Amino acid sequence: MSPTEIPTDPVEREGLAAEYVLGSLDARDNAAVEAALATDAALRADVAAWEARLAPLHALALPEAPPPGLWDRIEAALPGAATAMPAATPAPAPRPAWLGLWRGWALGASAVAAGLAGFILLQPAPAPRLMTVLLTQRDAPAWTVEADARGALRLAALNPRPLEGDRVLQLWALPEGATAPTSLGLIPASGQITVTPQGVRPQPGMLIEISLEAPGGSTTGRPTGPVLFIGRLSAAGAS
Amino acid sequence: MTETPVAELLARIAAGDRAALRLLYQAEATRLFGLANAILRDRDAAADALQDAFLRVAQRAQQFDASRGEAGAWLGGIVRHAALDQARRRGRERPSDDPALGDAAVAPEALEKVLAGEDLKRLHWCLATLEEKYRRGILLAFVQGLSHAQISDRLHLPLGTVKAWIRRGLLQLRGCLT
Repeated sequence: MSPTEIPTDPVEREGLAAEYVLGSLDARDNAAVEAALATDAALRADVAAWEARLAPLHALALPEAPPPGLWDRIEAALPGAATAMPAATPAPAPRPAWLGLWRGWALGASAVAAGLAGFILLQPAPAPRLMTVLLTQRDAPAWTVEADARGALRLAALNPRPLEGDRVLQLWALPEGATAPTSLGLIPASGQITVTPQGVRPQPGMLIEISLEAPGGSTTGRPTGPVLFIGRLSAAGAS
Repeated sequence: MTETPVAELLARIAAGDRAALRLLYQAEATRLFGLANAILRDRDAAADALQDAFLRVAQRAQQFDASRGEAGAWLGGIVRHAALDQARRRGRERPSDDPALGDAAVAPEALEKVLAGEDLKRLHWCLATLEEKYRRGILLAFVQGLSHAQISDRLHLPLGTVKAWIRRGLLQLRGCLT
């Protein structure tokens, strides 16, 4: 396929550029785009714009050190490889900036989580205003919580697991400054629930907790079993 | 030693500075190898892809236009395409082809990274506004490197439907991100 087969219609060109960046084109179309990029500056601009749009998804791949010796292979394969560079001290692998960010509770994000599964849990509308991710005591993400502008809280399990025996999970909210939590009810076995709390309104800084309780849940107004998951609401990233 | 910005390294590479290519490798190889391995799930293949990618960078650095794109994104694109080419060469066979979404290559730790940037949150929300049928195809292609045909197999949908949904989803995504 020659570069002349790149469409001229702007919408078609844009779509092709998007699919090229996405990587879903078959080998033939991919090669055609690749060839056209060398000479077609407008197509390069479309591709660059799509690279920028989708680049945040690169973060889904775990950084991983390449095998030792790979640089030497690359250098040897470069044209005119004889002009080797003086050996430099390899820079230490940069510590990913996100590593320190997530350990606390203020997880202002949601569910790209647990692979792609999170996307399926998310309902498209309405856009959440506040959100958090509830962590296990070992800081593993376990639930997403989103609050919309009407004050409804949406809870979804990332990895639903059956509970032992007849135990139940109870959802609690603790507004900042409050001394006692408010029960938001029991969580069904599906691991998904939407509740509109009475008496408390979701706000940034509010703690959301899930405790393990005896059948029927706690009736004392406080968790009686262990608090298994905890997180704090913060503003959602969407503008 | 402060790290030289990627865009500046690319400009030096475009001017034939071999040392800059090495600096780029030192600064970015860990991230980029992870990117290639997420698609290939085979360290040997990912190493081949990264080698191809750096040869392409040496060749095409002058194509990078800092006024039109972000250097890290451009670099990521080169590596993804080198990895996809490796995958095509290998018939896009992958050691693990778990039909469950989100298998090994997309690590559970991915969550932490979501927290890193506003731009990812924005993209995430735009993806979340897409209908699920559009979103799944886009993510399968981008994160796991599946082709239209493979997505069609994976989702048990006709190829034409997959193509149409991905195209429509991408254009909606652009509308949301703009």
